Amino acid sequence: MYKLILKMAWKNSFLRPARTILVITMIAVSMSMMLAIQGLYDGMVKNMIDKNKRSDSGDISIYAKDYRVQKDIKYRIKDAKTIKEDIQKIDGIKAVVLRLQAQGLLSTARKSSFASIHGIDLKEEEDFGKFSEFLKEGEISLEKRSAIIGVELAKTLKVRIGSKLIFSTQDSSGEINSIALRVRAIIQTTNIGLDNNAIFVDIKKLHEFLGVNHKHATQIAIMIEDNRLISKIKQMYPNFDVKSFLELQPMIKQMKDMMVIFNSITFFIVMSVVFIGIFGVVYVSILDRIREFGIIIGIGMQYKYIRAQIFLESIIVGLIGYISGAFLGLILLIYLRDYGLDLSSFSDALEMWGYEAVITGTIKVSYFTSTFGAIITASALSVLIPLRKIKKLNPIEVIKAEK
Amino acid sequence: MIKLQNVNKYFYKNDPREVHALCDINLKIEDGEFSLFSGSSGCGKTTLLNAIGALDSCDSGEIYIDDTEITTLSESERTELRLNELGFVFQSYNLVPVLNVEENIGFIMKLRGFSNKEIKERVLEIASLLEIDNKLKLLPNALSGGQQQRVAVARAVAAKPKIILADEPTANLDSANSEILINMMRELNEKEGVCILFASHDELIRENTKRVIELSDGALVNDYKY
Repeated sequence: MYKLILKMAWKNSFLRPARTILVITMIAVSMSMMLAIQGLYDGMVKNMIDKNKRSDSGDISIYAKDYRVQKDIKYRIKDAKTIKEDIQKIDGIKAVVLRLQAQGLLSTARKSSFASIHGIDLKEEEDFGKFSEFLKEGEISLEKRSAIIGVELAKTLKVRIGSKLIFSTQDSSGEINSIALRVRAIIQTTNIGLDNNAIFVDIKKLHEFLGVNHKHATQIAIMIEDNRLISKIKQMYPNFDVKSFLELQPMIKQMKDMMVIFNSITFFIVMSVVFIGIFGVVYVSILDRIREFGIIIGIGMQYKYIRAQIFLESIIVGLIGYISGAFLGLILLIYLRDYGLDLSSFSDALEMWGYEAVITGTIKVSYFTSTFGAIITASALSVLIPLRKIKKLNPIEVIKAEK
Repeated sequence: MIKLQNVNKYFYKNDPREVHALCDINLKIEDGEFSLFSGSSGCGKTTLLNAIGALDSCDSGEIYIDDTEITTLSESERTELRLNELGFVFQSYNLVPVLNVEENIGFIMKLRGFSNKEIKERVLEIASLLEIDNKLKLLPNALSGGQQQRVAVARAVAAKPKIILADEPTANLDSANSEILINMMRELNEKEGVCILFASHDELIRENTKRVIELSDGALVNDYKY
């Protein structure tokens, strides 16, 4: 019997093909747009998180207690090299780097600005976060007195590749010391803190300049494969300030949460459109066929079969809309993932907030599964009122009305 | 057997427009009858047919189909009764437009759970009898009015109900098609033993039925058997 019901539902779904195709198109277009927006929102946040992790905190960062508040090299990790080697031995650790950081004044002949100097090992940073991918101008090199500068700081100081700089700070003995540097590269990480204030030099040179033992560091940044390692590392080093990425970047967590809200709102709007669309089609279709339903109830068709038929009609429209929308959405998402959405005309505003001018999308299976669930639910719910109308239908009224 | 005892039906009850549509109807119809409810328009023949067909309720009285008192049945029990015991032929054919002739004829058999083989055989048998066996794959809108009404009769009779209720089945047909239809229904009555009750004022039906039950203003006034 259900085979016949399915056949009737299928044929009735396309009894007025223009109307059904219009609703399917509406579902498909709105769904594909929603998938693209979801992909872009998530892509924006993912990119931001990715670049922040690669350029700075990793998944976990270890600092000496009070360092993050005082920002003074006095609060440094003295056995950093040993800790690094111990951590590298743990299963699930992707990369570990040591960094030495100090605050000071960066000057050209005409301008000066507050800056933080970061001592890094370029080779290790490349393994850790593909540092060279941040290059905007020049050549990634920290040989001799070479320095790499953040893009916004370079703009503030009006320096170019080859410009000379003087960085002054207090060394470990409390003396004010200066170092002459030459800009070899300008980088853009979209990590606001680094782009606005950071200058990178070779870590060995910074150890020497600050008068700090080469085993010391202010930060140990770690990339991990499994988030469960966070609590393990926290337990291993209770005397240090061990923080996960989201603890170090609460703003990004807020943005991530905000994007979930934006996605939910978009999702709700699109599903409401789907619901109204299917409801409209099913309701009008039932009104068109009310006599037919009255007659088939009259000749003995049980309500359960009519209910199944109406549900199937609605599901058929929803499902075809979903398949078309998923196909269109996938094409859009693949394009956005591979080529991105170029918003260069808004680049200043976007980069100020840590976003890239070209936003690339992400593709998650969950976009499709959650949308599938929602469309099927919307399809099922949209028939409840029309079904109520049929349930209340008295066949004799229909039979009398035909006379 | 159908038995009606003191059946009364009002429209607009307790309203200035009140109509006493069926007045104290007492009637017995035996199995295999070929009978007609006759009378002028508004006399209550369709109301009586609908009451027997468990489509409409009564205000008082009892209606029995065999031993089942149908006025006390719930809505779903009435639906079951209509499905299993009765067949209907309406004035406007009322075929399912998205199903072809074969599926329309087998529709009630399908609802009653007959096997596909049984349905196929029976559909062919009935379609041959009603001379529509060459139209089985067509949709109803490809048929003439007379052919559609034959499909409606075939649908009503296919599942071998005890009773077929036909309300003005010839109203939309020309005299030639009306005659063909009535002859076919008489043949079904004779061959299959199915009880057929008409509600009509068509003289052609009156001439062909074996019993004419006349109604006037809701009351049974004459009952002729031929």
